[in-house]
Amino acid sequence: MSIDYSLEPSIIEGKPGLASIDSTIAAPMETRPNKNFYMALSVTLTMLGIGAVCLGYSFYYGMGLWGNNNPVGWGFDIVNFVFWIGIGHAGTLISAILFLFRQKWRTGISRFAEGMTIFAVMTAGIFPLIHVGRPWLDGYLMPYPNQHGLWVNFTSPLVWDVFAVSTYFIVSAIFWYIGLIPDLATLRDRTVDKIRKTIYSIFSLGWRHSNRHWHHYEMSYIILAGFATPLVLSVHTIVSFDFAVSILPGWHSTIFPPYFVAGAVFSGFAMVQNALIFVRKIFNYEHIITLDTLEKMNKIMIATGSMVGYAYAMEFFIAWYSGSPLETFVFVNRAFGDYAWAYWIMVSCNVIFPQLFWFKKIRRSIPLMFVVGVFVNIGMWFERFVIVVTSLSRDFLPSSWAYYKPTLYDIGILIGSFGLFFSLLLIFTRTLPVVSIAEVKAVSDGAQPTHHAGGSHAE
Amino acid sequence: MSTQEFQVNYEKKGLPSTWLRNGLIFLVLGIGLSAAAYFIEPQRALINGVVAYMFVFGCGIASLFLIALEYIVGAVWSVPFRRISEFLAALLFIAPVLALPAFFNFHQVFHWSAPEAASDAILKAKAPYLNVSFFVIRFIGIFIISWLFYFFIIRNSRKQDVSREQFLTKRNITLSGAFIPVFAILISIMSLDWLMSLEPHWFSTIFCVYYFAGSLLAAIAALTFIVVSLNERGYLIKGLTEDHYYSLGGLMFAFTNFWAYIAFSQFLLIWYANLPEENFWFINRMNDTWSYISVGLIVLKFVMPYALLASQPSKMNPGRLKLAAFWILGAQYYDLFWLAIPNYYKTGPALHWTDFGFPLLAIGVIMTVFCIVARGKNLVPIGDPKLKRSMDFHL
Repeated sequence: MSIDYSLEPSIIEGKPGLASIDSTIAAPMETRPNKNFYMALSVTLTMLGIGAVCLGYSFYYGMGLWGNNNPVGWGFDIVNFVFWIGIGHAGTLISAILFLFRQKWRTGISRFAEGMTIFAVMTAGIFPLIHVGRPWLDGYLMPYPNQHGLWVNFTSPLVWDVFAVSTYFIVSAIFWYIGLIPDLATLRDRTVDKIRKTIYSIFSLGWRHSNRHWHHYEMSYIILAGFATPLVLSVHTIVSFDFAVSILPGWHSTIFPPYFVAGAVFSGFAMVQNALIFVRKIFNYEHIITLDTLEKMNKIMIATGSMVGYAYAMEFFIAWYSGSPLETFVFVNRAFGDYAWAYWIMVSCNVIFPQLFWFKKIRRSIPLMFVVGVFVNIGMWFERFVIVVTSLSRDFLPSSWAYYKPTLYDIGILIGSFGLFFSLLLIFTRTLPVVSIAEVKAVSDGAQPTHHAGGSHAE
Repeated sequence: MSTQEFQVNYEKKGLPSTWLRNGLIFLVLGIGLSAAAYFIEPQRALINGVVAYMFVFGCGIASLFLIALEYIVGAVWSVPFRRISEFLAALLFIAPVLALPAFFNFHQVFHWSAPEAASDAILKAKAPYLNVSFFVIRFIGIFIISWLFYFFIIRNSRKQDVSREQFLTKRNITLSGAFIPVFAILISIMSLDWLMSLEPHWFSTIFCVYYFAGSLLAAIAALTFIVVSLNERGYLIKGLTEDHYYSLGGLMFAFTNFWAYIAFSQFLLIWYANLPEENFWFINRMNDTWSYISVGLIVLKFVMPYALLASQPSKMNPGRLKLAAFWILGAQYYDLFWLAIPNYYKTGPALHWTDFGFPLLAIGVIMTVFCIVARGKNLVPIGDPKLKRSMDFHL
């Protein structure tokens, strides 16, 4: 199988007509879901219910139900928070950064990934709110003049998190919605149902596919992409500051910001890849979300996974090189101490397994890439576990060392977060187009002037 | 299809004759001034020599990285410019010569190797890594490995000018895949050995990424400057558009921001935690006249390039691109100077007249090597299968 480098590879396979693109993508919204959908939804809602019950108990009896103990004040709640924020990063990377880089293959997957961003940030947002222990006081996270004269601690990165995550959520949601407008108009024009037509009409803001509309649309889209790009970096940078501005060995490391961002993109891509494998199969999008696209995602995973591996190695080396006994101890303890099992799960899942993607056969095999994607997500969850728990459980005073063990309530809340995320995702696939109808048309063969032989531009 | 009909609109011409002449003038001037500096202020001249060396090495290895990046990500727009980066990557062959003075005065440059270091507990602990023989082995190893990659990748690329065979592209993609992880290790070791170990007690996990960011920025800036200058005079392939320029400008802009992000991360975390084992490095740079140089770094390396390249038309304007590229190259030199000199002159003087010969030397080396390597060669990879697509490139 040799590639002809002189030809531009097709992004959409099989030259589908414009009408067939419309009807393929709109099909899930125009048909009734089948039994499998309801079965999947009931599974995820059950998971969500488990989480809700555990959370309810935690609110009623207090945080003593959790595994957090004296040195390990940050347990599953913060681990899950960082994990879910990370999952969200792929969406903005695909929709904003790859857009600025003019990577046209992003069109098939951008809408879905953006949706995942929004749901992941929503899921993540729950954890700091419950982590404070008294969720009814969460309003004080927002600085506002109040009669108590109470203000947040502006020098704390935890407060920066509030601003970073909420900005990220708002910009992602607006970006997502702007992209949806032309598609909502298409759906409005297709539907005969009166109620749906009204809803679509309201949310498509009077879009008529006119030249002028497109002009404004593209302008606002690129501006939002420009806004969203620094946000991709800033959110996980600030999450990394939660750890790195402290003086705790294992947390205080200058490589944390780029390393966290790379890790976030890594896990986000793994999650998007896993979910897309099902979406493209179930909804017959295999010619739109092509194997080539999945292969490119796997390439991004090997790149970001290797960056994460570089950061592990650099941290380890500098811990020794620094000559600081505290630093050295923490890293040796990570690899060979009580939590060595977690450390080696992290290293093998994040650094070793993704290296399989160097082989084209594995990169293009659906079952194998799925398995590696799952491993990556396990590994990235354990990365946060290793960072949060190992450093805290062995702090400066050996008399206060303790082993952290999650309780059933911690695990239940984690299951609940997956339930929430996948329930939202399932509902999304049935209510909104998971692939951008308009953008797919623009990148199919023949849509661009250079696709015609001899097409030249005025330069 | 149209690949057969595609006529490469490129006419082979030698470089402008003034380039080599000017390069030689800079080189002679640089050698003269640095030699004078060595006799007047030997210690300072040696460290300045390290700065010039790291500048040239960074440009060279980051150019090779750019070539590998083009292959591995399948970039199309950059194909007509790849040859320029290939010439710049040849700097890897001259770079070790610039490092020689430091080797001949090893203890003066690398204080960890001085006899007094034997009584320092921290340095004793670091001795398994920071010792002269391992240092030399690493240095030689880095160059041999990067020369091998240079040799194979560039040979395939040049062969393709005549043979036009696609398998050469495929082979280079494989080589690039192998090179990129190796590159990450090589540039990390080099920056740790030659910049971080100048202050042997200090450490920062992001430091190697910092040097990488600056070097890549310099390689892109050098590429942009040469491409725009040559294209203005018609030395490159006909039909390059504003979109090609825009992409070069966009890359410079993006990596200016990337550098600023890395620099800010390093500063903020060390400043905020304020641990005595690492904050002294920044305190040295915030004292006396060094504080002005430090503020100058923010202005010169971030604010100015940002302002020069922020707007869309500016990334397509040849004059603006040349100015920004030249500026960024100067800022990268300034940055390396700021990394190295304060370790030795903690209370100043921040600037000394003997410092100014070394940037001239670095520019002279780059120009001369570029002209000599480029002599008699195609300035555009005319046999690359992606060239036609590249000429059709539009944003």
